[in-house]
Amino acid sequence: MSTSQYDIVVIGSGPAGATTARVAAEQGLRALLVDKRQELGAPVQCSGAVSRHALEEVGIQPADEFIHEAIYGFGIYDQDGSETIIDYRQLKPDEYGQGANKKPLGYVVDRRRFDRCLMTMAERAGVEVWLKTEGLGYVVNSSGSCTVQLRHFNKEISVEAKVLVGADGLQSQVGKWAGLHTHIKLTELASCLQFVVDQVETDGLLEIITGHEWAPGGYAWVFPKGYGYAEIGLGVIRTMTKENAQWHLDQFIQHSFFKTRFKNSRILEIQGGGVPLAAPLRTQYSDNLILVGDAARHVNPITGGGIHTALSGGRIAGQFLAKLIREGVAPTKENLAGYQEQWLEELGNKMWQLYKEKCQIFKTKNLKRRDAMLYQTMSSYFSPHSEYKKI
Amino acid sequence: MPKKEPVIFFIGWNACINCGACVAVCPQKAGFISPFDTIAVNTPCDIACMVCEDICPVSTITHEPAPKPA
Ligand SMILES: Cc1cc2nc3c(=O)[nH]c(=O)nc-3n(C[C@H](O)[C@H](O)[C@H](O)COP(=O)(O)OP(=O)(O)OC[C@H]3O[C@@H](n4cnc5c(N)ncnc54)[C@H](O)[C@@H]3O)c2cc1C
Ligand code: SF4
Repeated sequence: MSTSQYDIVVIGSGPAGATTARVAAEQGLRALLVDKRQELGAPVQCSGAVSRHALEEVGIQPADEFIHEAIYGFGIYDQDGSETIIDYRQLKPDEYGQGANKKPLGYVVDRRRFDRCLMTMAERAGVEVWLKTEGLGYVVNSSGSCTVQLRHFNKEISVEAKVLVGADGLQSQVGKWAGLHTHIKLTELASCLQFVVDQVETDGLLEIITGHEWAPGGYAWVFPKGYGYAEIGLGVIRTMTKENAQWHLDQFIQHSFFKTRFKNSRILEIQGGGVPLAAPLRTQYSDNLILVGDAARHVNPITGGGIHTALSGGRIAGQFLAKLIREGVAPTKENLAGYQEQWLEELGNKMWQLYKEKCQIFKTKNLKRRDAMLYQTMSSYFSPHSEYKKI
Repeated sequence: MPKKEPVIFFIGWNACINCGACVAVCPQKAGFISPFDTIAVNTPCDIACMVCEDICPVSTITHEPAPKPA
């Protein structure tokens, strides 16, 4: 048993947790960041697409260490292959491209290297980081702090903190410890599978293929992955199909309008996961506790993208906690509610709007009409005029 | 509705891709997890909603009735 004291203990060193801890430490808090894995980001459960803006907003320099490939736009397809190409190299040629003084719109990152880099940034900002450390539970103390139980290389350790941050991803247990309503319905969790492949050409665009035939309830994607590799994947809502994601991915590769393009593809890696196409948690805080990132369901319910929202959520959480603790405010449920208010104002209210749009699409019974709505929404979502383009 | 009979889950580890989707969708209380980050495999589940089996992208979760207490 140890009685180390921290301002905050963060469980989970993904984009959300590492950013929360770093921002808090930069503002003077004593932070402990733990992750149960031995290598962050592995096994990979993500395609790694993230905008440049999302990185810069939280002070992350795009670096070769984690970038697989630069992205310059989007290709959105309907079920039969009609396309909307949004290529910023053509839309804004002075700004976007490979030449001098030009920049990419975003990147496909390697989550193993990316998460490691974010952890390093936190470390260098003064955060204490422990890998192979699993969060087991927490209790609120009468003194106003909380005790967090951890297991580190088989040793049980207790640490004391003013606030526990649950950044433990979609499989979050921390929210359950506090009795928060974290359960996600089968109708709102996309079952995803992706292959990293060789011999599929790409052109600096994130390609998104809509249509019930290929990915009921979700969509399929083809992302450039660097070194001439690509990522082919899809997510399905299992209440909308009898078959699993693996079956749908095989169908997509062998029978879609891209079948000739995929003909010689060779599988190099197999990855998957769950993507919530759901609303953010209604309550993301409790006594001495807040949730951030996937754990709070800070995920874009239309695209399923969660790296940007995890990073931004981490920044908001880190800043909020630094101020609260510096000012000596007690971390009670009532006082931590301000974190969620801040988050809603900066990000969350737009995510609620997106959720309503998503529901509108998927409650449409007529399949043809639903497919058309999804194609239209995706196409306008990524357009330069989209009000959501920064989420 | 009659209460469901408790079940024990089995994971075909050869096909499991460690994606964590089964844990994400599971309505059980905290800690219903195996050391390999899947749903628990040696603890009876009394909810038996089977959504973990549905969400699994490679359909590698199966179940049997939990042994009755002696
Ligand atoms: C197939 C797939 C493709 C995706 N593609 C994209 C994409 O292209 N772009 C995008 O923006 N988003 C994508 N996402 C979503 C994105 O991966 C997540 O939203 C993002 O990783 C959330 O970050 P996070 O920090 O909240 O959680 P995570 O990245 O999940 O990190 C959580 C961390 O907590 C640790 N942890 C969990 N429990 C404990 C515990 N008890 N004790 C200690 N540590 C613990 C885990 O080991 C993990 O390191 C994709 C998701 C999937 C499944
Ligand atoms: S959902 Fe299936 S593949 Fe994913 S971790 Fe669970 S058992 Fe393994």
